[in-house]
Amino acid sequence: MRGRAVLLGLVLLAILGFVFLRGPSPHIQIKAEVLASLGPVNITNTMVTSWIVVALLIVLVFLLTRRWELVPRGPQNFVEAVVEAFFNLASQMVGERLARRFLPVTATIFFFILFANWFSLAPVFNAIGLVKEVVPSEEGAAHEGKAFVMEKVDLGPLPIAFTLPSSPDRLQGEAIELNEPEAETKVEEKRAEGKLVGEFLPFLRSMNTDVNMPLALAVAASIAVEYWGISALGLGAYGRTFFNFGKLGRGLRSLRPMAIMEGAVDAFVGLLELVSHLVRLVSFTFRLFGNMFAGEVVILMFTFLVPLLLTLPFYGLELFVGIVQAFIFAALTLVFGLGAVEHAAAGEHH
Amino acid sequence: MAFLAGFVDGLKALGINLPTLLAQLVNFTVLLVVLYLLAYKPVMRMLDERRRRIQEGLEASEEAKRRLAQAEEEARAQMERTRLEAQAIVAQAQELARRLQEEARAQARQEAEQILARAREEIVLERDAAIAQLRREFADLTVQAAERVIRQALDREAHRRLIEEALSQSPLGDGGGQ
Repeated sequence: MRGRAVLLGLVLLAILGFVFLRGPSPHIQIKAEVLASLGPVNITNTMVTSWIVVALLIVLVFLLTRRWELVPRGPQNFVEAVVEAFFNLASQMVGERLARRFLPVTATIFFFILFANWFSLAPVFNAIGLVKEVVPSEEGAAHEGKAFVMEKVDLGPLPIAFTLPSSPDRLQGEAIELNEPEAETKVEEKRAEGKLVGEFLPFLRSMNTDVNMPLALAVAASIAVEYWGISALGLGAYGRTFFNFGKLGRGLRSLRPMAIMEGAVDAFVGLLELVSHLVRLVSFTFRLFGNMFAGEVVILMFTFLVPLLLTLPFYGLELFVGIVQAFIFAALTLVFGLGAVEHAAAGEHH
Repeated sequence: MAFLAGFVDGLKALGINLPTLLAQLVNFTVLLVVLYLLAYKPVMRMLDERRRRIQEGLEASEEAKRRLAQAEEEARAQMERTRLEAQAIVAQAQELARRLQEEARAQARQEAEQILARAREEIVLERDAAIAQLRREFADLTVQAAERVIRQALDREAHRRLIEEALSQSPLGDGGGQ
């Protein structure tokens, strides 16, 4: 009886949200929105998020670890437990000696991605931002994206506008696709009604939904992996794992077919290794980007479709995806690092 | 060339651009350095230090346990030694007592025998003295009696000799002659 009442209440809540809280259908854009330009550098919302995440992490760790004591107390415990847990995990994967060496880079990758992913589930993301009015003088120019019809509130120096949610007579917030043929006239109409018609550029957008951030992380991870490999064996020997033509040359000089074959295979394997390292960069980037971007789109779409209740499971899912992706990125870096170092170790025996 | 241009266009469509990429790399590096200094280094140092201390503590406790066992062993050995000593002392004392008792008994017996012997000797002496005196008195009596009977004055000394001769042939005279 009670369970049924709760179920009924939940369904009612979902319907109420559907009727009264649906905003305009969201604008999905792969590129990060540019909030401002500073010379050649575009300040995008993902970069702002990245700064905030970096700053928050630094401040948090700084506050939690004001002074180190051998007998840990309170917050220090937490930091130690988290770092130690990661260290133990890494130790299981690559052994303690290498884990010690790989810890700073991989742990930073892990905690940076994890914190950014979870932080981006905060409600301010994709909800508050700049509004760029669609300028009438740009008529005819090929517009992209979507303009939202917004109510204006005049607060003096602080102009504020917001989209109206749905109401029983209009089942979703208003938006105009700018690439529609009659977009211009619609914009003019709405503007005549005293509404603000403009593009919306959120201040905060999940850091990893911009390809640049996963790519930067992939580049950093790759640099670290190659560095570990080189420092384990030296530049020349490590380079020979990719450009392994020595045996082929010797085979050609000796003119023995078997030796030439073996040399050719070794050279080919080396080149494959090089390609695999490059492919790694791409797979690193798009695995993280794809997962996080998809997650964001799913949450945006479900917030639009059924604003109340049904969005929650996807937040749970995104919490999970957030930690899994962070872990995969860090774990793969560890594994590749192990590969580079072991490659080097195996090379020493030849 | 066309392929490359298409590639670059694709990257642009995705929003990849070098300044942003570099900026994000810098962000990551800053975070890496700061976290290294603030968290990883001290945490690892703490871990190592703590591990070292625990190791030391374990070793110390092991050592203490070993020492305790050793001390207990020593105490037990000491106790055993003491017990054995005590037993030896008691046995010795018992032996001594037994010997003393034996000696005392032997001495007592000896003394008793001595006393007995002396008593016997004295009895014999007394008897002899009594017999001698009796004999002397009897001789005198006999002389007086003989004088009265024969009224013959005999030389006292000759008489005595006669009597002695007579006595020595009698059973009484045997004891007196000795």
